[in-house]
Amino acid sequence: MSDLTMEENSEMPATQTLPTEHKGYAFEMVGKPDYGFVTVQVPAGKMLKVEASAMATMDTNMKMKTKMRGGLSRLLTSESIFINEFTAEGVDGEVGIAPGTPGDLCHRYLEDDTIYLQNGAFVACGPDIEIESKWQGLVKGFFSGESLFLIRAKGTGDLFFNSYGAVIEIDVEDDYVVDTGNIVAFTEGLDYKVTKVGGYKSLFFSGEGFVCRFSGKGKVWIQTRGASAFVGWAHWFRPVQKK
Amino acid sequence: MDIELTHRPGNTAAKVTLQAGETITAEAGAMIAMSGNMDITTTTHKKNSGGLFKAAKRLLGGESLFLNHFEPKGEQGTIFFGTDLAGDMMTMELDNDNLIVQSGSYLASDSGIEVDLGWQGFKSLFSGEGVLWLNLKGSGKIIVSSFGAIYPVQVDGEYIVDSGHIVAFDETLDFSITKAGKSWLHSWLGGEGLVCKFKGTGTVWCQSHNTSSFGNALTPSLRARKA
Repeated sequence: MSDLTMEENSEMPATQTLPTEHKGYAFEMVGKPDYGFVTVQVPAGKMLKVEASAMATMDTNMKMKTKMRGGLSRLLTSESIFINEFTAEGVDGEVGIAPGTPGDLCHRYLEDDTIYLQNGAFVACGPDIEIESKWQGLVKGFFSGESLFLIRAKGTGDLFFNSYGAVIEIDVEDDYVVDTGNIVAFTEGLDYKVTKVGGYKSLFFSGEGFVCRFSGKGKVWIQTRGASAFVGWAHWFRPVQKK
Repeated sequence: MDIELTHRPGNTAAKVTLQAGETITAEAGAMIAMSGNMDITTTTHKKNSGGLFKAAKRLLGGESLFLNHFEPKGEQGTIFFGTDLAGDMMTMELDNDNLIVQSGSYLASDSGIEVDLGWQGFKSLFSGEGVLWLNLKGSGKIIVSSFGAIYPVQVDGEYIVDSGHIVAFDETLDFSITKAGKSWLHSWLGGEGLVCKFKGTGTVWCQSHNTSSFGNALTPSLRARKA
């Protein structure tokens, strides 16, 4: 049976800073969980990888370089994971990062770990984390509704990722079901398959369609809102094309 | 059944813990995550009473025709519900009461509560905003959601609420559609059109934002769709 832990928002201060023994870069997150924004302090000579166009503010000694990452597969993803590298030249510098969607921000310090992110969830990471687009396979990708690719973050250092809506962290002990539109990230070691919920009647009429069933031991981060659900709602407000 | 609302008020989610044998009914599409032992059944109406006639009434109600029923197998199970739009949620407990809920605000309810098209279904066809009402009847817990914040208004006498801002109201209140301004022309020019007038004693729960207003504000920026 799955055991749950949750970030209880009401008890969490609006500003979240790092624990003192934190090994990565110093950072400060504000505006959680509705409008998360993070400011990262990059030590002199060090580099931070940031999702393209997510930089909002920075010190003048930060030098930006656009890197081609993820190889050819990146060209196939609907979401580009063009990554900009910000290096602090001479002295320490800070970068303020605003994710594209209003929502929550999460931070994890990876120690030779791997986390898979839903396409679009990547925000920033330290220099020793490799960011790659990972082909999910046709069946998993096609039915997961979002994208054929996941982003794999692998290595050691800080990793920041974001959501649309608030994030709930779930400890999977056995198995857990998540709507495909609400997956933000999950740890390596969890197995997942895309299945239908209930019988065939539920498949067509439940409004849930396909779900992702995670099994094994690890963590899944889910978002309380979904961009595609919002787009589905907005569809009915599109002007009607005139002939 | 234990209900906990988290991340209020902007991006609220409801975490529901069910013991073996307990069932919760939810609006189609509301589930965002659940433990692996949850069984889901989809019906056109209240579990085990899915008559075609009632299903057709639900279809007319503009609310999706289908409801999902979740029940944990063997042991305790958890389930999370979310909504399409940003906003708050509220839990209520009915004790053999009636509550009228705006169809878009209904999220989930205890299996002891019957979800039906409200008796005001016909009247609300004229409320102008495509707002329709569900009649929740019975005993148990209910979760409703709002677009924006949610606030109660105690009515004693008369009170007017724009139909797009109503989440739910006590069935003890009498409700009529009326014009906001002095004349129909003024109401129409003022952008208020038709409003709901409540009469009697009871509570109306209102939402701070109107989904139609937000949607209409987006319209000019959206690409045209085929009819």
